[in-house]
Amino acid sequence: MLHGVARQDRAAFREVYRHSAPKLAGVLTRMLGDKAEVEDALQEVFIRVWQRAAQFDAARGAPMGWLITIARNAALDRLRARPQARGVSFAAPRRDQPDADPLDDVPAPGPGPEAAVLAGSDARRIMDCFDELDADRAAAVRGAYLQGMSYQQLAERYAVPLNTIRTWLRRSLLRLKECLDR
Amino acid sequence: MSDPTHPDDFGLEEQDDLLAAEYVLGTQPAAERRAARERAEVDGAFAARVSAWEERLSPLNAGYDEAPAPDLLPQIEARLFDDVAAPGMAAPASPARGGLLGRLAGGFGWRGGALASALAAAVVFLAVVFWPPAPAPAVLQADLTTEEADLQFTARWDPVDGQLAMTRVTGEPAPEGQDYELWLIGEDGVPRSLGLLREPVTQLATVLAPGVTLAISLEPEGGSPEPAPTGPVLAAAAISESS
Repeated sequence: MLHGVARQDRAAFREVYRHSAPKLAGVLTRMLGDKAEVEDALQEVFIRVWQRAAQFDAARGAPMGWLITIARNAALDRLRARPQARGVSFAAPRRDQPDADPLDDVPAPGPGPEAAVLAGSDARRIMDCFDELDADRAAAVRGAYLQGMSYQQLAERYAVPLNTIRTWLRRSLLRLKECLDR
Repeated sequence: MSDPTHPDDFGLEEQDDLLAAEYVLGTQPAAERRAARERAEVDGAFAARVSAWEERLSPLNAGYDEAPAPDLLPQIEARLFDDVAAPGMAAPASPARGGLLGRLAGGFGWRGGALASALAAAVVFLAVVFWPPAPAPAVLQADLTTEEADLQFTARWDPVDGQLAMTRVTGEPAPEGQDYELWLIGEDGVPRSLGLLREPVTQLATVLAPGVTLAISLEPEGGSPEPAPTGPVLAAAAISESS
Protein backbone atom coordinates (compact mmCIF):
# COMPACT_ATOMS: atom_id res chain seq x y z
CA MET A 1 0.00 0.00 0.00
CA LEU A 2 2.81 2.29 0.95
CA HIS A 3 4.40 1.96 -2.45
CA GLY A 4 1.19 2.96 -4.10
CA VAL A 5 0.94 5.96 -1.81
CA ALA A 6 4.49 6.86 -2.63
CA ARG A 7 3.77 6.78 -6.34
CA GLN A 8 0.68 8.88 -5.90
CA ASP A 9 2.63 11.29 -3.83
CA ARG A 10 4.99 12.12 -6.64
CA ALA A 11 1.98 12.75 -8.82
CA ALA A 12 0.55 15.07 -6.19
CA PHE A 13 3.84 16.91 -5.83
CA ARG A 14 3.91 17.44 -9.59
CA GLU A 15 0.35 18.64 -9.49
CA VAL A 16 1.23 21.18 -6.81
CA TYR A 17 4.15 22.31 -8.96
CA ARG A 18 2.04 22.68 -12.08
CA HIS A 19 -0.63 24.56 -10.22
CA SER A 20 1.55 26.95 -8.27
CA ALA A 21 4.84 27.33 -10.19
CA PRO A 22 3.63 30.24 -12.38
CA LYS A 23 2.50 32.25 -9.34
CA LEU A 24 5.65 31.45 -7.38
CA ALA A 25 7.77 32.26 -10.43
CA GLY A 26 5.91 35.59 -10.52
CA VAL A 27 6.80 36.24 -6.88
CA LEU A 28 10.46 35.37 -7.45
CA THR A 29 10.67 37.37 -10.68
CA ARG A 30 9.24 40.46 -9.04
CA MET A 31 11.67 40.18 -6.15
CA LEU A 32 14.85 38.82 -7.74
CA GLY A 33 14.58 39.87 -11.39
CA ASP A 34 17.39 37.74 -12.75
CA LYS A 35 15.99 34.79 -14.70
CA ALA A 36 18.67 32.27 -13.78
CA GLU A 37 18.35 33.15 -10.13
CA VAL A 38 14.57 32.86 -10.32
CA GLU A 39 14.89 29.31 -11.66
CA ASP A 40 17.42 28.42 -9.03
CA ALA A 41 15.23 29.85 -6.29
CA LEU A 42 12.16 28.09 -7.66
CA GLN A 43 13.91 24.75 -7.28
CA GLU A 44 14.90 25.67 -3.75
CA VAL A 45 11.33 26.66 -2.94
CA PHE A 46 9.88 23.34 -4.06
CA ILE A 47 12.51 21.44 -2.14
CA ARG A 48 11.40 23.33 0.96
CA VAL A 49 7.77 22.68 0.09
CA TRP A 50 8.45 18.96 0.03
CA GLN A 51 10.44 19.07 3.23
CA ARG A 52 7.96 21.20 5.13
CA ALA A 53 4.63 19.96 3.80
CA ALA A 54 4.01 18.40 7.20
CA GLN A 55 4.17 21.88 8.75
CA PHE A 56 1.38 23.24 6.59
CA ASP A 57 -1.59 24.10 8.75
CA ALA A 58 -4.78 24.76 6.85
CA ALA A 59 -6.27 26.39 9.92
CA ARG A 60 -3.72 29.16 9.58
CA GLY A 61 -4.26 30.10 5.98
CA ALA A 62 -4.66 29.18 2.34
CA PRO A 63 -2.23 26.76 0.70
CA MET A 64 -1.19 29.35 -1.88
CA GLY A 65 -0.41 31.79 0.92
CA TRP A 66 1.77 29.19 2.57
CA LEU A 67 3.60 28.53 -0.69
CA ILE A 68 4.09 32.26 -1.34
CA THR A 69 5.50 32.72 2.17
CA ILE A 70 8.12 30.09 1.40
CA ALA A 71 8.92 31.75 -1.93
CA ARG A 72 9.15 35.24 -0.41
CA ASN A 73 11.45 34.01 2.35
CA ALA A 74 13.72 32.29 -0.17
CA ALA A 75 13.86 35.47 -2.28
CA LEU A 76 14.45 37.71 0.75
CA ASP A 77 17.31 35.53 1.96
CA ARG A 78 18.92 35.84 -1.46
CA LEU A 79 18.33 39.60 -1.70
CA ARG A 80 19.82 40.27 1.72
CA ALA A 81 22.85 38.10 0.92
CA ARG A 82 23.63 40.16 -2.20
CA PRO A 83 26.75 42.33 -1.98
CA GLN A 84 24.64 45.48 -2.42
CA ALA A 85 22.77 44.55 0.72
CA ARG A 86 25.92 45.24 2.72
CA GLY A 87 25.10 48.90 2.40
CA VAL A 88 27.85 50.06 0.08
CA SER A 89 26.47 50.85 -3.32
CA PHE A 90 22.73 51.03 -3.42
CA ALA A 91 22.85 53.77 -5.98
CA ALA A 92 24.58 51.47 -8.44
CA PRO A 93 22.35 49.72 -10.96
CA ARG A 94 21.72 46.09 -10.34
CA ARG A 95 24.15 43.81 -12.11
CA ASP A 96 21.41 41.71 -13.66
CA GLN A 97 19.34 44.63 -14.94
CA PRO A 98 21.82 47.35 -15.83
CA ASP A 99 19.21 49.78 -17.09
CA ALA A 100 16.46 49.13 -14.62
CA ASP A 101 15.89 51.19 -11.54
CA PRO A 102 14.73 48.55 -9.07
CA LEU A 103 12.38 51.10 -7.60
CA ASP A 104 10.65 51.98 -10.83
CA ASP A 105 7.70 49.80 -10.22
CA VAL A 106 7.00 50.82 -6.68
CA PRO A 107 3.25 51.25 -6.65
CA ALA A 108 2.17 54.81 -7.21
CA PRO A 109 0.60 56.68 -4.32
CA GLY A 110 -3.06 56.06 -3.78
CA PRO A 111 -4.74 52.77 -4.52
CA GLY A 112 -2.09 50.72 -6.26
CA PRO A 113 -2.56 48.38 -9.21
CA GLU A 114 -3.19 45.67 -6.65
CA ALA A 115 -6.49 47.31 -5.85
CA ALA A 116 -7.84 46.21 -9.18
CA VAL A 117 -7.02 42.56 -8.64
CA LEU A 118 -7.73 42.33 -4.96
CA ALA A 119 -11.08 40.84 -4.28
CA GLY A 120 -12.89 39.45 -1.29
CA SER A 121 -13.46 40.91 2.12
CA ASP A 122 -9.94 40.34 3.50
CA ALA A 123 -8.46 42.09 0.51
CA ARG A 124 -10.90 44.97 0.74
CA ARG A 125 -10.13 45.37 4.40
CA ILE A 126 -6.40 45.60 3.87
CA MET A 127 -6.93 48.07 1.04
CA ASP A 128 -9.15 50.18 3.27
CA CYS A 129 -6.50 50.08 5.96
CA PHE A 130 -3.81 51.06 3.49
CA ASP A 131 -6.01 54.00 2.52
CA GLU A 132 -5.85 55.23 6.11
CA LEU A 133 -2.06 55.60 5.78
CA ASP A 134 -0.25 58.44 4.05
CA ALA A 135 0.16 57.54 0.39
CA ASP A 136 3.96 57.49 0.62
CA ARG A 137 3.93 55.20 3.59
CA ALA A 138 1.38 52.82 2.13
CA ALA A 139 3.52 52.61 -1.00
CA ALA A 140 6.61 51.94 1.09
CA VAL A 141 4.93 49.04 2.90
CA ARG A 142 3.65 47.58 -0.36
CA GLY A 143 7.01 48.06 -2.07
CA ALA A 144 8.78 46.36 0.79
CA TYR A 145 6.39 43.44 0.74
CA LEU A 146 6.04 42.89 -2.99
CA GLN A 147 9.57 43.66 -4.10
CA GLY A 148 11.52 42.80 -1.00
CA MET A 149 12.99 46.29 -0.60
CA SER A 150 15.31 46.72 2.37
CA TYR A 151 15.29 49.65 4.78
CA GLN A 152 18.43 50.83 3.02
CA GLN A 153 16.70 50.87 -0.37
CA LEU A 154 13.58 52.53 1.02
CA ALA A 155 15.70 55.20 2.71
CA GLU A 156 17.31 56.03 -0.63
CA ARG A 157 14.03 55.92 -2.47
CA TYR A 158 12.40 58.41 -0.11
CA ALA A 159 15.62 60.32 0.61
CA VAL A 160 15.30 60.06 4.36
CA PRO A 161 17.71 58.68 6.96
CA LEU A 162 17.62 54.97 7.68
CA ASN A 163 16.24 55.40 11.20
CA THR A 164 13.51 57.65 9.92
CA ILE A 165 12.32 55.19 7.30
CA ARG A 166 12.36 52.46 9.90
CA THR A 167 10.23 54.52 12.26
CA TRP A 168 7.88 55.39 9.38
CA LEU A 169 7.39 51.79 8.51
CA ARG A 170 7.02 50.67 12.09
CA ARG A 171 4.33 53.29 12.72
CA SER A 172 2.58 52.31 9.51
CA LEU A 173 2.66 48.64 10.48
CA LEU A 174 1.16 49.38 13.90
CA ARG A 175 -1.60 51.43 12.30
CA LEU A 176 -2.27 48.67 9.80
CA LYS A 177 -2.48 46.14 12.58
CA GLU A 178 -4.75 48.31 14.64
CA CYS A 179 -7.00 48.81 11.61
CA LEU A 180 -7.00 45.15 10.50
CA ASP A 181 -7.64 43.79 13.98
CA ARG A 182 -10.42 46.30 14.59
CA MET B 1 10.19 64.32 6.23
CA SER B 2 11.32 64.72 9.80
CA ASP B 3 10.00 62.19 12.21
CA PRO B 4 11.46 62.69 15.66
CA THR B 5 10.31 59.35 17.01
CA HIS B 6 12.89 56.72 17.72
CA PRO B 7 12.37 52.93 17.62
CA ASP B 8 12.99 52.91 21.37
CA ASP B 9 9.75 54.81 21.82
CA PHE B 10 7.80 51.61 21.25
CA GLY B 11 6.90 49.42 24.24
CA LEU B 12 8.36 45.94 24.73
CA GLU B 13 5.30 44.10 23.45
CA GLU B 14 5.15 46.39 20.46
CA GLN B 15 8.86 45.93 19.84
CA ASP B 16 8.35 42.18 19.56
CA ASP B 17 5.37 42.57 17.33
CA LEU B 18 7.22 45.03 15.12
CA LEU B 19 10.20 42.72 14.83
CA ALA B 20 7.84 39.98 13.66
CA ALA B 21 6.21 42.40 11.20
CA GLU B 22 9.57 43.53 9.85
CA TYR B 23 10.63 39.93 9.45
CA VAL B 24 7.52 39.18 7.40
CA LEU B 25 7.90 42.38 5.41
CA GLY B 26 11.54 41.46 4.87
CA THR B 27 13.10 44.90 5.31
CA GLN B 28 15.75 43.89 7.85
CA PRO B 29 19.40 43.42 6.93
CA ALA B 30 20.69 39.85 6.76
CA ALA B 31 21.95 39.54 10.34
CA GLU B 32 18.71 40.83 11.91
CA ARG B 33 16.68 38.67 9.59
CA ARG B 34 18.63 35.61 10.65
CA ALA B 35 18.25 36.50 14.32
CA ALA B 36 14.47 36.88 13.90
CA ARG B 37 14.19 33.53 12.14
CA GLU B 38 16.20 31.79 14.82
CA ARG B 39 14.06 33.35 17.49
CA ALA B 40 10.89 32.16 15.75
CA GLU B 41 12.31 28.64 15.80
CA VAL B 42 12.70 28.59 19.58
CA ASP B 43 10.15 31.15 20.81
CA GLY B 44 6.58 30.02 20.22
CA ALA B 45 5.04 33.38 21.12
CA PHE B 46 7.26 35.13 18.62
CA ALA B 47 6.51 32.47 15.98
CA ALA B 48 2.79 33.15 16.55
CA ARG B 49 3.38 36.86 15.97
CA VAL B 50 5.15 36.04 12.72
CA SER B 51 2.25 33.83 11.59
CA ALA B 52 -0.25 36.53 12.46
CA TRP B 53 1.62 39.05 10.33
CA GLU B 54 1.91 36.61 7.43
CA GLU B 55 -1.84 36.27 7.61
CA ARG B 56 -2.48 40.02 7.90
CA LEU B 57 -0.35 40.92 4.92
CA SER B 58 -1.30 37.94 2.75
CA PRO B 59 -3.96 39.84 0.75
CA LEU B 60 -1.03 41.73 -0.79
CA ASN B 61 -0.07 38.47 -2.51
CA ALA B 62 -2.71 39.29 -5.10
CA GLY B 63 -0.27 41.96 -6.30
CA TYR B 64 2.07 39.31 -7.68
CA ASP B 65 1.45 38.44 -11.32
CA GLU B 66 2.08 34.98 -12.64
CA ALA B 67 5.23 34.44 -14.68
CA PRO B 68 6.23 31.71 -17.10
CA ALA B 69 7.73 28.87 -15.09
CA PRO B 70 9.91 26.34 -16.90
CA ASP B 71 9.38 22.70 -15.98
CA LEU B 72 12.02 22.30 -13.30
CA LEU B 73 10.48 19.15 -11.85
CA PRO B 74 13.20 16.83 -13.19
CA GLN B 75 15.92 18.86 -11.43
CA ILE B 76 13.86 19.23 -8.28
CA GLU B 77 13.04 15.53 -8.10
CA ALA B 78 16.65 14.59 -8.76
CA ARG B 79 17.74 16.73 -5.84
CA LEU B 80 14.99 15.53 -3.58
CA PHE B 81 14.19 11.91 -4.03
CA ASP B 82 17.63 10.40 -3.57
CA ASP B 83 17.66 11.59 -0.01
CA VAL B 84 14.11 10.59 0.59
CA ALA B 85 14.87 7.10 -0.62
CA ALA B 86 17.49 6.69 2.09
CA PRO B 87 17.11 3.25 3.65
CA GLY B 88 15.40 2.84 6.98
CA MET B 89 13.24 5.93 6.67
CA ALA B 90 10.01 4.34 5.58
CA ALA B 91 7.74 3.06 8.29
CA PRO B 92 4.08 2.14 8.59
CA ALA B 93 1.69 5.02 9.00
CA SER B 94 0.10 5.41 12.38
CA PRO B 95 -3.52 6.42 12.94
CA ALA B 96 -2.45 9.61 14.71
CA ARG B 97 -1.59 11.14 11.36
CA GLY B 98 -5.15 11.37 10.13
CA GLY B 99 -5.70 14.85 11.50
CA LEU B 100 -2.85 16.36 9.59
CA LEU B 101 -3.92 14.50 6.49
CA GLY B 102 -7.39 15.92 6.67
CA ARG B 103 -6.17 19.44 7.29
CA LEU B 104 -3.79 19.50 4.37
CA ALA B 105 -6.14 17.74 2.01
CA GLY B 106 -8.93 20.10 3.04
CA GLY B 107 -6.68 23.09 2.70
CA PHE B 108 -5.49 22.34 -0.79
CA GLY B 109 -8.96 22.58 -2.16
CA TRP B 110 -8.13 24.45 -5.32
CA ARG B 111 -8.76 21.71 -7.76
CA GLY B 112 -11.53 19.82 -6.19
CA GLY B 113 -11.50 16.20 -5.29
CA ALA B 114 -8.78 14.78 -7.51
CA LEU B 115 -6.09 17.06 -6.23
CA ALA B 116 -7.33 16.84 -2.68
CA SER B 117 -7.10 13.08 -2.72
CA ALA B 118 -3.72 13.16 -4.42
CA LEU B 119 -2.57 15.53 -1.74
CA ALA B 120 -4.09 13.38 0.93
CA ALA B 121 -1.93 10.58 -0.41
CA ALA B 122 1.01 12.96 -0.41
CA VAL B 123 0.51 13.75 3.21
CA VAL B 124 0.36 10.11 4.20
CA PHE B 125 3.61 9.59 2.38
CA LEU B 126 5.21 12.72 3.77
CA ALA B 127 4.07 11.82 7.23
CA VAL B 128 5.54 8.37 6.83
CA VAL B 129 8.83 9.66 5.54
CA PHE B 130 9.31 12.63 7.80
CA TRP B 131 7.58 11.68 10.97
CA PRO B 132 9.38 9.53 13.45
CA PRO B 133 8.42 5.91 13.24
CA ALA B 134 7.91 4.17 16.57
CA PRO B 135 10.07 2.88 18.13
CA ALA B 136 12.21 5.87 17.28
CA PRO B 137 15.45 5.11 15.42
CA ALA B 138 18.69 6.03 17.09
CA VAL B 139 20.25 9.44 17.24
CA LEU B 140 23.03 9.75 14.65
CA GLN B 141 26.24 11.64 15.16
CA ALA B 142 29.58 12.47 13.64
CA ASP B 143 32.74 14.41 14.45
CA LEU B 144 34.08 16.63 11.73
CA THR B 145 37.61 17.79 12.45
CA THR B 146 40.11 19.43 10.14
CA GLU B 147 43.49 17.82 9.64
CA GLU B 148 45.14 20.54 11.70
CA ALA B 149 42.42 20.14 14.35
CA ASP B 150 41.96 23.92 14.35
CA LEU B 151 38.29 23.55 13.47
CA GLN B 152 35.93 20.95 14.83
CA PHE B 153 32.20 20.51 14.40
CA THR B 154 30.03 17.85 15.95
CA ALA B 155 26.91 16.71 14.12
CA ARG B 156 23.93 15.33 15.99
CA TRP B 157 20.77 14.32 14.16
CA ASP B 158 17.67 13.64 16.17
CA PRO B 159 15.19 11.46 14.26
CA VAL B 160 12.33 12.57 16.50
CA ASP B 161 12.27 16.12 15.21
CA GLY B 162 14.43 15.62 12.09
CA GLN B 163 16.81 18.34 13.27
CA LEU B 164 20.51 18.16 12.62
CA ALA B 165 22.45 20.24 15.18
CA MET B 166 25.88 21.31 13.99
CA THR B 167 27.99 22.59 16.88
CA ARG B 168 31.30 24.35 16.36
CA VAL B 169 33.36 22.90 19.21
CA THR B 170 36.72 24.33 18.22
CA GLY B 171 37.75 27.15 15.91
CA GLU B 172 36.53 30.48 14.63
CA PRO B 173 33.67 31.45 12.31
CA ALA B 174 34.58 31.48 8.62
CA PRO B 175 36.78 34.44 7.61
CA GLU B 176 35.10 37.66 6.47
CA GLY B 177 33.52 37.20 3.06
CA GLN B 178 33.41 33.41 3.35
CA ASP B 179 31.10 30.77 4.81
CA TYR B 180 31.37 27.20 5.99
CA GLU B 181 28.93 25.09 4.00
CA LEU B 182 27.68 21.68 5.09
CA TRP B 183 27.21 18.92 2.50
CA LEU B 184 25.50 15.57 2.55
CA ILE B 185 27.10 12.91 0.38
CA GLY B 186 24.87 9.90 -0.21
CA GLU B 187 25.58 6.52 -1.72
CA ASP B 188 25.65 8.02 -5.20
CA GLY B 189 28.61 10.19 -4.20
CA VAL B 190 26.80 13.36 -5.21
CA PRO B 191 27.13 16.19 -2.65
CA ARG B 192 23.99 18.09 -1.67
CA SER B 193 24.13 21.29 0.29
CA LEU B 194 22.47 21.23 3.69
CA GLY B 195 23.18 24.85 4.49
CA LEU B 196 25.65 27.36 5.88
CA LEU B 197 27.28 27.05 9.29
CA ARG B 198 27.48 30.60 10.57
CA GLU B 199 26.52 30.21 14.19
CA PRO B 200 28.17 28.33 17.06
CA VAL B 201 25.19 25.98 16.81
CA THR B 202 23.22 25.63 13.58
CA GLN B 203 19.96 23.67 13.42
CA LEU B 204 19.07 22.19 10.05
CA ALA B 205 15.97 20.21 9.11
CA THR B 206 16.95 17.14 7.12
CA VAL B 207 16.59 13.40 6.83
CA LEU B 208 19.68 11.27 7.44
CA ALA B 209 20.50 7.58 7.52
CA PRO B 210 23.51 5.84 9.04
CA GLY B 211 26.49 5.71 6.71
CA VAL B 212 25.92 8.92 4.75
CA THR B 213 28.86 11.30 4.80
CA LEU B 214 28.78 14.88 6.01
CA ALA B 215 31.43 17.29 4.74
CA ILE B 216 32.24 20.94 5.40
CA SER B 217 33.75 23.16 2.74
CA LEU B 218 34.92 26.76 2.79
CA GLU B 219 32.91 28.77 0.28
CA PRO B 220 32.36 32.36 -0.77
CA GLU B 221 29.91 34.22 1.45
CA GLY B 222 26.40 32.93 0.85
CA GLY B 223 27.60 29.47 -0.09
CA SER B 224 28.84 27.72 -3.19
CA PRO B 225 27.47 29.25 -6.38
CA GLU B 226 27.53 25.75 -7.88
CA PRO B 227 25.48 22.68 -6.96
CA ALA B 228 28.71 21.16 -5.54
CA PRO B 229 31.47 22.55 -3.31
CA THR B 230 33.77 25.04 -5.03
CA GLY B 231 36.08 25.65 -2.07
CA PRO B 232 38.37 23.33 -0.14
CA VAL B 233 36.73 20.52 1.80
CA LEU B 234 37.91 21.08 5.37
CA ALA B 235 36.50 18.03 7.10
CA ALA B 236 34.33 15.02 6.36
CA ALA B 237 32.96 12.09 8.36
CA ALA B 238 30.34 9.37 8.08
CA ILE B 239 27.41 9.74 10.43
CA SER B 240 26.58 6.76 12.63
CA GLU B 241 24.47 5.72 15.58
CA SER B 242 25.66 7.23 18.82
CA SER B 243 27.02 4.79 21.30
